Amino acid sequence: MKRLIALLSLVCFSAAAPAQQKDTRLFPYEYAIDDLDNGLRLVTVPTDFPNMVSLYIVVQAGSRNEVEPGKSGYAHLFEHIMFRGSEHYTPEQRDLILKKAGAESNASTNFDRTTYYENFSKEDLEPVMKLEADRFQRLKYSEAAYKTESLAVLGEYNKNSSDPTEKLDEALYATAFTKHTYAHTTMGFLKDIQDMPNQYNYSLQFYDRFYRPEYTTILLVGDVSREQALGLTKKYFGEWKRGTYVSNIPAEPAQTASRKASVDWNSPTLPWLAVAFRGPAYSDEKIDKAALDLLSPIAFGPNSELYQRLVLKEQKVDELQPDFGNHPDPELFTVYARIKDPKDIDYVREQILMTFERFTKEPVDQAKLDATRSRIRYSLALRMNSSSAIANVLAPYIGLRRTPETINKVFALYQRVTSEDIKKIASQYFLPNNQTIVTLTTKGATN
Amino acid sequence: MRKIAIALLLCSSVLLASPNKIPSVVLPGTSPLVTFRIMFTTGSAFDPSGKEGVANLTASMLAQGGTRSLTYDQIVQALYPMASSVSSQVDKEMTVFSGTTHVENLDRYYALFKDMLLDPGFRPEDFKRLREEAINFLRVSLRQSNDEELGKEHLYNVIYAGHPYGHHNVGKVSSLEKLTIQDVRDFYRTHYTGANLVIGLAGGLPKGFAERVESDFKKLPDGITDKKRMDKPKLQAGTRIEIVTRDTRSTAISFGFPIEVNRSSKDWAALALVASYFGQHRSSNSYLYQRLREARGLNYGDYAYIEYFPRGMFLMTPDPNLARQQQIFQVWIRPVEAENSVFALRAALYEYDKLVRNGISKEVFETTREFLTKFANVLTQTQSARLGYAMDSRYYDIPEFDAYLKSQLAKITVDDVNAAIRRHLKTDRMRIVLVTKNADAIRDAILKNTPSPITYNSPKSKEIQDEDKIIETFRINVKPEDIAVVPVTRVFE
Repeated sequence: MKRLIALLSLVCFSAAAPAQQKDTRLFPYEYAIDDLDNGLRLVTVPTDFPNMVSLYIVVQAGSRNEVEPGKSGYAHLFEHIMFRGSEHYTPEQRDLILKKAGAESNASTNFDRTTYYENFSKEDLEPVMKLEADRFQRLKYSEAAYKTESLAVLGEYNKNSSDPTEKLDEALYATAFTKHTYAHTTMGFLKDIQDMPNQYNYSLQFYDRFYRPEYTTILLVGDVSREQALGLTKKYFGEWKRGTYVSNIPAEPAQTASRKASVDWNSPTLPWLAVAFRGPAYSDEKIDKAALDLLSPIAFGPNSELYQRLVLKEQKVDELQPDFGNHPDPELFTVYARIKDPKDIDYVREQILMTFERFTKEPVDQAKLDATRSRIRYSLALRMNSSSAIANVLAPYIGLRRTPETINKVFALYQRVTSEDIKKIASQYFLPNNQTIVTLTTKGATN
Repeated sequence: MRKIAIALLLCSSVLLASPNKIPSVVLPGTSPLVTFRIMFTTGSAFDPSGKEGVANLTASMLAQGGTRSLTYDQIVQALYPMASSVSSQVDKEMTVFSGTTHVENLDRYYALFKDMLLDPGFRPEDFKRLREEAINFLRVSLRQSNDEELGKEHLYNVIYAGHPYGHHNVGKVSSLEKLTIQDVRDFYRTHYTGANLVIGLAGGLPKGFAERVESDFKKLPDGITDKKRMDKPKLQAGTRIEIVTRDTRSTAISFGFPIEVNRSSKDWAALALVASYFGQHRSSNSYLYQRLREARGLNYGDYAYIEYFPRGMFLMTPDPNLARQQQIFQVWIRPVEAENSVFALRAALYEYDKLVRNGISKEVFETTREFLTKFANVLTQTQSARLGYAMDSRYYDIPEFDAYLKSQLAKITVDDVNAAIRRHLKTDRMRIVLVTKNADAIRDAILKNTPSPITYNSPKSKEIQDEDKIIETFRINVKPEDIAVVPVTRVFE
């Protein structure tokens, strides 16, 4: 498999990848890290995809950082407010600059980070950097604009609200977490969203806390040099003042018993089931997360025995997928299933639980483990098909460790993990007292 | 990679086509990835009456079913270590099977891909699963889980009622329930022919690979080309509204009408510029977005289109290979709070009306042209997108997309754009779809022209307040018999 990476480097990116790194790095691009005195980090990844540059700015603040009661959804709200003007640019001036750059521009928020991005032609790099620097350091929005934008957030909640899986997740996290802020979704509770218009001052405080260089990494990928990137970063972000706020996220106490919740859905739907176990946090040093990452597709992916039985053979389920993201704090290893007939809910739940239990007792098949390692490597190679796609792959890792190197480290762990390791780790996490199960059914439908 | 870009440019204009040759679009390069787009110029517009959904189900049976020698689970197992897959996309006049693999896996991947298309198993267990999946997609996923896509797709059904485009690409529930494996076999035999085939390949192709693919696909029967002239739908004059009722928090709105412009038309670039200015997809650089969302906080976004763009809530740029002879101009208003439904609809129609009456300014023309000229690079960033666009260019008989868009934009003036607005943007046959729980109240308010004042949570400028006064009584001219209230269970049925 290492040959694959070597080939990738050699054929496509020979100018970028030094020879000595070819055999050991999964992430095949040469990159540079530059730390400014104020705590801001710049990661530059020159590629040979011509003309385009992707600028990603990753802030290590997401809904995880929303510690005050009644204040869920503010990291996401801020993703919106950041488009509401800054000291030197009105929203209209901002739009015009990005329009002239032919830019695709947007932002996203999740539990752990908020990511802002623009994909555009390289000749517009300086005006775009200057524009971004202003809003990150000198955001300026009126209370009226703030209130209007809070309604757009409500609009986002509304457009999501017809999807039952949004509600399923809301119930799952509220049940699985009691102290930690993963208890609320990134969108936040509806009552908190409806209260947002009244919280202008809190919003100012949120910006003051987190929109600081020590929380932020600039990622530039594409037709750009390190010198150019560093020069512009120093010029426009060099005066940014470091903050003082330190996030103090409440730790989730150990779970002592299995938990259950059910959701009544107002309109006709097929039943949904979420079966979750508390899992380990992201690590590029300890093997726990890596071991369960490898198990996830083996146990629950499309080529798993369970999928083949429930979806293809018995045809009782039409969607079955595991979800086990990378997070700084322990989160959930969840299996979602959409069940065709409500009478099969119990059966499907038992089958999923038995599969979790099975892998605490028997090691995974070596051939499947090897195939999974292969899949992970090719999957990354296939995804990195443009500068913006490379930035997209990197941004979550930048949010976790502020360096692309963590990808190589975690993939080295994947190489090390054995079948026995997976069994051992599974038996530590897939315990009944770590479990949360949520069922969503149409109101009035019989289970 | 710079060399590749030049190679792509040169090769994309060389379309291999001669009487005995399968038409191919080949974009060779030195990327270690190889992309396939195997297209049949057929689709849901060729579903026989009463068998709506058979085109899509046939494609699903190929992409998500077994071959004669391998069951589907064996195919999944074989694809797994390569991290590759075979996807199908069915639109009205195009069906495409696509996938990308690493060149190291090319032989193994292609062996599977080829058999899936050329030697399908048509197994009863796959048929049962995939037909049920199609029915559940319409009945549950689309009707009950995504009001925006429901509204957007239903608008097409309303506009194209009685036309070959008149049903969702996945079909109708009642037809799907009656389909048999024999229907799928028949569709495959008749439409998966050499006459409908276009081979698309891109990336680090080994020497002779394109020829090998062509030789393998010659196995298909010659058949007859599915070349049907699709006429502009004949709509009755006047506005018509369909209100789809379901129990939902908010109201989704879509409206539009047919246009006689597709990518090959003289006015395409001019109208593309208008749609970009008025409602660039998922961008704050959209005039409607600025008026409805930014200024008023009505919803999450407001966009306009001149080409079919499904799944827009999940995508920043459109999927290629959705080319059609007939297109509509469409406005998508993302869900609004129930009490603002009529105001939001009026506001969007008011802005549309202004656009039609006033056209666009020189300044707007210049900046939007600059945007689109550069944005072409964003649309064709990946190898797969470049290949898809090149195949669409073949379909429309136009040059390579980037160059075509840029050259067309360079040629036009603001006067051309405003003339195109006058020629193509109409209000005399508007079709409107709302998805809401408040059907009766909305129907009444529209028919009686009841004012729909709006209240805000923050002070608004005099300009907005004055405009709101106009919007709140903006008349939607529609006769009582032209507002239908439709239970969601009847949509796609």
